[in-house]
Amino acid sequence: MKTPSDENHDLIRWLDGEMTAAERSAFEASLQNDPELAAEAESMRHLSESLKAHLPAEMPVPHADFFNSQIQVRIAQMEAEEAREREKAVASTAGWLSWLRMPWLAGAAAAAFAIAGLVWTQNSSSGRSTILSTYTPNPSVKAQVIENTEAGATVIMLEGLAPIPAEKKIAGFKVHRAESDAEVATTTLFDENGSVIAVVSKDAKGQPTLLQ
Amino acid sequence: MTNSEFRMTKETQSSKPECHPRVWQLRHSCFLILSSFLILNSSFCPAQQPAPVPAKKPATDGKVWGALIYATSDAAKLTGSAEQMPANQKDLPARLGKVFAPYTHFEVIGQHLQDVFREYESWVVPSRDLFLKIDSKGPAADGGMNLHLQVWREQQVLVKTDAVLRVGSPLFIGGPKWRDGQLLFVLELQKK
Repeated sequence: MKTPSDENHDLIRWLDGEMTAAERSAFEASLQNDPELAAEAESMRHLSESLKAHLPAEMPVPHADFFNSQIQVRIAQMEAEEAREREKAVASTAGWLSWLRMPWLAGAAAAAFAIAGLVWTQNSSSGRSTILSTYTPNPSVKAQVIENTEAGATVIMLEGLAPIPAEKKIAGFKVHRAESDAEVATTTLFDENGSVIAVVSKDAKGQPTLLQ
Repeated sequence: MTNSEFRMTKETQSSKPECHPRVWQLRHSCFLILSSFLILNSSFCPAQQPAPVPAKKPATDGKVWGALIYATSDAAKLTGSAEQMPANQKDLPARLGKVFAPYTHFEVIGQHLQDVFREYESWVVPSRDLFLKIDSKGPAADGGMNLHLQVWREQQVLVKTDAVLRVGSPLFIGGPKWRDGQLLFVLELQKK
């Protein structure tokens, strides 16, 4: 004997066209014998058609670029964590000296040498700053990340930026310290003498404004 | 005995003088006015409020040095900025030269030593034209720091990035062209 939940399940499968031909025939026969079930089926069919008519089959993901960049950040973080775990495992392996008593000393020594080299290489790179992800809201701007070992620096090259007009004066600050006021969301910048240089606040759009 | 005679007798017998109803009415009005004044005064007078608690210094995760650099190949085109390279950054021009060839001259236009606040955003503002917003994401391995950075050009964000900054390993950002050279942003985590 079928329970009401079984009937609902069959009803949904029938509506979604998931039944085999035999199942569909049997179910449609039961609809003819059960007016209550038939009424429910008709009601659900109307509801389904109404939803399909008013809602698009696909909806665009809001802020897709930001969403994708956050996924990339998470992937990069997971890879960095895995690399650190591998590094620890290799380092602990390199610490074992029991191979000195083994007969295959030459082969083991070569392997250990290779591992030590790998550890040295990885340790030397782990002291560097790293970029996990970049996102340029302006699609005409591209960010290229470079690890420059010679300079011992990590570089983000921003390409596609509009140049600053040559006649524009670029004035620099020498900020010695800053004080943040969380209540009014401002940061006050001071010079070495304690004089206020500028105040950073945000406008209604969340964009920073500098008041001098 | 008339009523007036009786009142005089009572006054001489008792030490308390009897008040006229008008006097009682006046006293009552004065009491109400005085009470109202005292209540208002105690509510709004700032002198009677407790002294303000001094602001607590916010927690920090570290300190960064940020600088806006003008790179050019022609020494004659330098801006004449009075800013000096800090003593611990003397090798910075040579390092920049290895990355941003063919530029050979690197001039500090502005610089900013900034605490990285643990709970709030921090701003590194060596210039009003190009500056940086930092959000701390906590310490990283080897004494590094996980940061979310945003490079702003006035009111336009140029790039957002998640980075791990480590001491002795600066981050160089190649910014917009200016005059016959280019503006660069340098950010370096300072030793604790």
